[in-house]
Amino acid sequence: MKYQKILPLLLIPCLLCGCAQETAVSSGVPESSKTEASAVEPAVSDLFAMDTYMNLKVWCMDGDAALQEAAVLISGLENTLSVTNPDSDTSRINQNAGSPVAVSDDTAVLLREAVQIGAESGGSLDITIYPVLKEWGFTTQEYQIPEDSRIQELLQHVDYTQIQLDGNTVIIPEEAQVDFGALAKGYTSDKLMQLFREYGAESAIVSLGGNVQALGRKTDGSLWKVGVVNPLSPSENMCILEIENQAVITSGNYERYFVGDDGQIYWHIIDPKDGFPADNGLISVTVIGESGLLCDALSTALFAEGTEQAVRHYQQSEQFDMILVTEDGKILISEGIEQNFENISTMPVEVIAHAG
Amino acid sequence: MPDKKAKFILIITVLILLLCAVWAAFALRKPSGQRVFIIQENKIIQELDLASEKDQEIRIASPDGGYNIIRIQNHEICISEADCPDQTCIKTGILRSENLPIVCLPHKLIIRFAEEGEQP
Repeated sequence: MKYQKILPLLLIPCLLCGCAQETAVSSGVPESSKTEASAVEPAVSDLFAMDTYMNLKVWCMDGDAALQEAAVLISGLENTLSVTNPDSDTSRINQNAGSPVAVSDDTAVLLREAVQIGAESGGSLDITIYPVLKEWGFTTQEYQIPEDSRIQELLQHVDYTQIQLDGNTVIIPEEAQVDFGALAKGYTSDKLMQLFREYGAESAIVSLGGNVQALGRKTDGSLWKVGVVNPLSPSENMCILEIENQAVITSGNYERYFVGDDGQIYWHIIDPKDGFPADNGLISVTVIGESGLLCDALSTALFAEGTEQAVRHYQQSEQFDMILVTEDGKILISEGIEQNFENISTMPVEVIAHAG
Repeated sequence: MPDKKAKFILIITVLILLLCAVWAAFALRKPSGQRVFIIQENKIIQELDLASEKDQEIRIASPDGGYNIIRIQNHEICISEADCPDQTCIKTGILRSENLPIVCLPHKLIIRFAEEGEQP
């Protein structure tokens, strides 16, 4: 008799806990989003391709299928563009220098864009710099400081204006060689965004070796927060950017470099004007814009252009925003991102106004 | 009789409190932002919770030969030793940010924070 009274009482804490747990589990998720097409949790994939580490996250119903197709897309582009794959478009262009070569649509797009940004940057982006880059050992990691005469000899064949493109047929001069290292990842992230959109995703973010591109906003409607590496301390971020539907792509002197026998540091961004590592006042350039391809190409171009020319380039263009870090430890940001930029470093920040 | 009733109420109260404590411990067991994945060749091979993990070293053998030694100390994680040529993974230091994973390209090894709700 006594126990009959106690038993229901004993159930009370269980019920209380049961309720409490249920609220706790669902509290993080807005009710409405459960019924929407987009998934609450992302499909995530980690992969190694194009000589780098890639992390892809997409929120959609068929997330896993989207990621599988993304992996196929990436390896397809790698096979087409890789300068080390003997069957790639790039290798066929280089092996048949002096003769016309038929290339894929992807390669044709990249060639066209590379030539255009080459022109806009006064030749600071030049995809025919490859033989010089190779001579320095940046492609094999067998680094060396080339003889001046050797650099001069190789520079004779560095000239992107000599690339002739007619539809999908390209001819480069004999002895010239191209590579798409400065554009391939940006183009790939553009293609990934397009693919995720086709899967109905409204939120996705990818990092291809630190180059970030985002689709839409986060699933809770807020902007994506993207950290940009501090070139003076590459294991830390220097700032946080808030973005939507944009790419954030950085070229920095800390990414690939070696210390020569002379004690000097030589990095992988070569100035096409003299064939030496670009040393024009900048140690890091981040470009923010809607096109990953443009951001990727411009980050290299602006780095080689140097501080003054990069600022002028920005002021004449309306297609991008940028964060420059100068060798004396100053951050210059373009005014378009001022509201979405948070400095978490000790470096001072200066805002560059757009001309006009 | 009133004495017994008071005892019951006391026991029930203690029971409620106990069960709530157990539930709280269960629900709060995994603070977000401390879960870390170790990824090799595109596969998650280990999940760690830095909040509860003891100081230790984990040796990860690379399928192509070679190794990385992962060190967990004071709830922080880094690669302390490796026989890769570039040693970039060691130079990266302690894992601090979601967008700066520890990467060993030659051994295709990654250490990164887990996404909220991401399962291995």
